[in-house]
Amino acid sequence: MPNKTISVRIDGELIAAQEGQTILEVARANGREIPTLCYLKGLSAVGACRVCVVELAGTDRLLPACTTPMQEGMSIVTGSAKLELYRRLAVELLLVERNHICSSCVSNGHCELQSLAQSLGVTHVRYAYNNPRLPVDMSHPRFVLDHNRCILCTRCVRVCAEVEGAHVWEIGGRGIYSRIVSDLKDDWGNAHNCTACGKCVQACPTGALAEKGFAVHEMVKQSDQISRLATQRASHANGANS
Amino acid sequence: MATAAHDLTSESLEAHERLLIDQAIAKHGNRPGALLGVLEDVQAANAHKYLSMAVLRYISERTGVPPSTVYSATTFYSLFNLDPQGDNVICVCRGTACHTRGSRILLEKLCLDLGLSEHESGETKETEKLALTTADNRFTLRTVACFGQCALAPVVEVNHHILSHVNERTLQREVKALTQGRK
Repeated sequence: MPNKTISVRIDGELIAAQEGQTILEVARANGREIPTLCYLKGLSAVGACRVCVVELAGTDRLLPACTTPMQEGMSIVTGSAKLELYRRLAVELLLVERNHICSSCVSNGHCELQSLAQSLGVTHVRYAYNNPRLPVDMSHPRFVLDHNRCILCTRCVRVCAEVEGAHVWEIGGRGIYSRIVSDLKDDWGNAHNCTACGKCVQACPTGALAEKGFAVHEMVKQSDQISRLATQRASHANGANS
Repeated sequence: MATAAHDLTSESLEAHERLLIDQAIAKHGNRPGALLGVLEDVQAANAHKYLSMAVLRYISERTGVPPSTVYSATTFYSLFNLDPQGDNVICVCRGTACHTRGSRILLEKLCLDLGLSEHESGETKETEKLALTTADNRFTLRTVACFGQCALAPVVEVNHHILSHVNERTLQREVKALTQGRK
């Protein structure tokens, strides 16, 4: 069934979109930049980070662009003082929650959280740091999991389940006690299902998942490749369904 | 190495435990969301009302649900316990209404009476949900955010019976009755 064409407005400009596309997809296809963190093209969207919020005319509520489908006649604003405020707040709360110390991080300089904070002008946080005591899982022969740097975006969970099909990762616990867990909270090295493919490492936006043998500043992630792979896989799956 | 450990845990389940889990899985079938029903049934059938890691692993093997998903669901819902529970479960409401009518004092008193330390460990914060079990496995002390019985505050649930307008004395009497009733 061919998708219906709908007309919408983004930042006042009249744009033709396909029904079923999300706000983010339409905006990116038309050269509008909306910051994202938990979103990775090709993987399912979860709307966990709340960084991609946009304004919709006619409602005071902000909507996550990555999970909200475009509808006929919607008028979206992708950048405003209010959005800046809320996006900055989301990033500040992420920084407060765990121990994000850039100067000692393998992903320093290549970290999506860091560059997002920089582009939003987060020079400081308004809240007290949580300073949790969190372990570092070094049990895997090739990779490291550092809970201190994890922002629970669940990209690793989704890439492992949807692309690799191993489903090693999941979020255990809830609320402030949520942690990424492999299998039955086994050490990663003992996780039965792990194929050591490293897709989770490449998909991770921060230094939470990293390869061993990299020093500070050295871990460059290839999330683009993961995204391409995931997109191909998703379009294959769609092709098989229709 | 990993394989050896894995086989060992499966092995540690006894035949009747495995049968019970298989029955629970067969009862709920393959429909989505069956996992919760399976976990609930298996936990209810357990003598100490908990799900061990071996049980979770076996459920995962049998249902084909990834172990991480099983663990995630189990830790998300406070209904499921990963540790053996005491013979008697005492649940103190820490909702706002109960708090203003002194539920913290009741909780601290209970901790003292049962010899449980929530504050000494340092790890547990005031806000955290509590689930402490005494060393002899007689009592488990839990907290809950609200029973919805705020008019009766402070409320304490003892073995699924709700006590209302609890004070230290009535609580102490209740605990004493439980302790002696078992002797």
